[in-house]
Amino acid sequence: MLAFIVRRIITTIPVMGFVALFVFSLLYIAPGDPAAVIAGDQASPADVEKIRASLGLDRPYLIRFGEWFYHVLQGDLGTSIFTSLPVTQLIAQRIEPTVSLMLLTLVFAVVVAVPMGVIAAWKAGTWIDRCVVGFAVFGFSVPVFVVGYMLAYVFALKLDWVPVQGYTPISQGIWPWFKNLILPSITLGFVYIALIARITRATMLEVLQQDYVRTASAKGVEQRNVLFVHALKNAAVPVITIIGIGVALLIGGAVVTESVFAIPGLGRLTLDAILRRDYPVIQGVVLIFSFVYVLVNLLVDLIYTLVDPRIRY
Amino acid sequence: MDRRTFLKTAVGTGALAASGGLAMPALSQNAAAKTLRFVPQANLANFDPIWGTQYVVRNAAALVWDTLYGIDSKFQPQRQMVESETVSADGLVWTFKLRPGLKFHDGAPVTSKDVVQSLKRWQARDPMGLMIKAIEVELAPVDDMSWKWTLSKPYPKMLLAMGKNNAPCTFIMPERIAKTDPFTQITEYIGSGPMKFVRNEWVPGAKAVFEKFTDYVPRSEPADWLSGGKKILVDRIEWVIMPDPATASAALQNGEVDWWETPLSDLVPVLKANKNVKVDIGDPLGNVGAFRMNHLFPPFNNVKVRRAVMTALNQEDYMRSIVGDDDKLWKNMPSYFTPDTPLYTEEGGDILKKRNVAEAKKLLAESGYNGEPVVCVVAQDMAATKSMGDVTAELLKSIGMKVDFVATDWGTVGARRAQKTPPSQGGWSMFHTWHAGADCTNPAAYTAIRANGDKAWFGWPNIPAVETEVTNWFEAKDLAEEKAAIARLNKAAMEEVVYAPTGFYLGYQAWRSNVSGVTSGPLPFFWGVSKA
Repeated sequence: MLAFIVRRIITTIPVMGFVALFVFSLLYIAPGDPAAVIAGDQASPADVEKIRASLGLDRPYLIRFGEWFYHVLQGDLGTSIFTSLPVTQLIAQRIEPTVSLMLLTLVFAVVVAVPMGVIAAWKAGTWIDRCVVGFAVFGFSVPVFVVGYMLAYVFALKLDWVPVQGYTPISQGIWPWFKNLILPSITLGFVYIALIARITRATMLEVLQQDYVRTASAKGVEQRNVLFVHALKNAAVPVITIIGIGVALLIGGAVVTESVFAIPGLGRLTLDAILRRDYPVIQGVVLIFSFVYVLVNLLVDLIYTLVDPRIRY
Repeated sequence: MDRRTFLKTAVGTGALAASGGLAMPALSQNAAAKTLRFVPQANLANFDPIWGTQYVVRNAAALVWDTLYGIDSKFQPQRQMVESETVSADGLVWTFKLRPGLKFHDGAPVTSKDVVQSLKRWQARDPMGLMIKAIEVELAPVDDMSWKWTLSKPYPKMLLAMGKNNAPCTFIMPERIAKTDPFTQITEYIGSGPMKFVRNEWVPGAKAVFEKFTDYVPRSEPADWLSGGKKILVDRIEWVIMPDPATASAALQNGEVDWWETPLSDLVPVLKANKNVKVDIGDPLGNVGAFRMNHLFPPFNNVKVRRAVMTALNQEDYMRSIVGDDDKLWKNMPSYFTPDTPLYTEEGGDILKKRNVAEAKKLLAESGYNGEPVVCVVAQDMAATKSMGDVTAELLKSIGMKVDFVATDWGTVGARRAQKTPPSQGGWSMFHTWHAGADCTNPAAYTAIRANGDKAWFGWPNIPAVETEVTNWFEAKDLAEEKAAIARLNKAAMEEVVYAPTGFYLGYQAWRSNVSGVTSGPLPFFWGVSKA
């Protein structure tokens, strides 16, 4: 197992390198010019050129990439073109809200979606099943911002239970932290619940047809144990896979959710950076997200071995 | 249902409920009593008002850095950091004296060395500054409190240059900071203005914080725009960046923020219905909608094509697409200058007074237009440019022009419009934008009206008659001469179509009813604003 973990970590290095090269190249060929944004709308073309030169944006692609990559290898993600602050500092400022949002969403989604999927499979063909399937379709169809506005209207504006926007660090107390995050987490969890519930239902339906499940039922094992112990454990691998894949969805969804609820997280940082063509920030955040994604996949692989002893690396 | 409609409906319903008393402030009002929470028009991504000249940077800078003069609501520059000035009889030597007792936020006194270095940095980036530089003999301190500006020819607009609100303003910084190259960003934010910037609480994209500078000595005159006594009545001002207008609207209604600079016009009826929120016009000088045509390449290198488009243009279509049905928010503007300002003129503006599609088609036929596509680059991430772009596409089609509509984002427009290559090779034929009405009151900071070819703004119009009148305005000795020059300028610009004005429009601002002292102006003025 240790050898597997080490091997997996080592194999992530070229992946990260490729991601870095890809992101850098993509930004290089993408239209847009940070100097024009910095200079303001009334600036002359000559002013824009001077700013480009002062930022080093007029230098050749390979030199810029080489310098950037050299610094990245030393843990330096560069300096934001706009704020003149280190990218690592900007990311550090923003990472807690995003990690909090993602973790809370993940917990919320798994706690809700897995039982939903199991029950839908158990009651396949009934109105309960149809409700779950309907919810899953709805969850996929409704845009994140619509869910966000609806929840904000009901729970923030109408009932005044929670704030509309903002983020309170966990260091200022669990409840204020949770109060700010509950609506965004539910909003972001909507799509995720739909995805996990559907996969859980589908795999459970398959497992429930297996002989050992029928045998367990015939032997008089309690239905709850049949479902959540015997069947779910064997249906877990695809569900875990989809939870892992769903992290990518969470990253994408965080951009919208953080904007709707004015959470100062990495999603908003990314969006702002893209709109302004703040290349070092975009590159830094994409690298971080890629790293998280690779780590999650590693974690998923490890969990496979725990839930299914047949899987060995 | 699109995002905009949904947003309007959902938040609207919520707001009506809230206005009935359902909403209570989510945060403790007592704890925040001396903190004013403000939602600015955009993110304060950098904080050097010379390096980056976006309006949001200027607005924040006006809190931290004071200016030598400040423009008042009658567009007159008034003394601000300056106590007195003299000018020689030949108009060549200006001598200025600082107001005593001025201090920077680090405790150091403001001296003439700081002023001179700040003016030098400003000069390099400001159009009026560059004009002065071109005729400058010497700019140097006389003593700690005075400095002298010697010119080779008179510059009657000297005080306006130092008091104007158009970015970049003459913000005064300590000498060591002002020595920074004007194309490199400063990293220390020390001013002598009424508020200090709290650097360690700055989260670009999320929050910027300002604290009252207790050693600031306001002038004794009442505050009037950027002039007079800048008395700060709260301890702290927090700028909360909210990219989503629906969220900002809900936060204002909920009492989570106190003042929103630029509410989306769709949401204004909702805010007006809330008894805890007040709404009024933000900037009385508003905005001038515009699209620019590329004078370098076909089809718009032909004045008859440009005139054909202007002849078919109906400003009402553009304005309604931006502000909706609120007729108080827009005006026809057969002019290049901001309505209701001293130099406003409609000389030569008949072409914009009545749409005439038949005449436009006739002009287009006479021009020899041979069907080349108009590469219309439209930023979709800004409501105003998106709306105007849609209207223009229909306008061009209505007179028989072929449109290559490039839907993109502002970042791309900003880069592409600088391309001087033909439209078919990565260049462009037209793009949409808007200009702050404050910039269009006279030619001083009105980059868009200049028609000096390669040195002109994007589109590069080359119209000597316009440039002659710009010079005449700068040299005018009184208002009558200024008005005459501007009338001739407007006529020449309309005849040759420097660019196409699409109308004049205003925007609202909104604040909680427990906030008082909010005034209308070309930027948000925090002096005199208090919170109960």
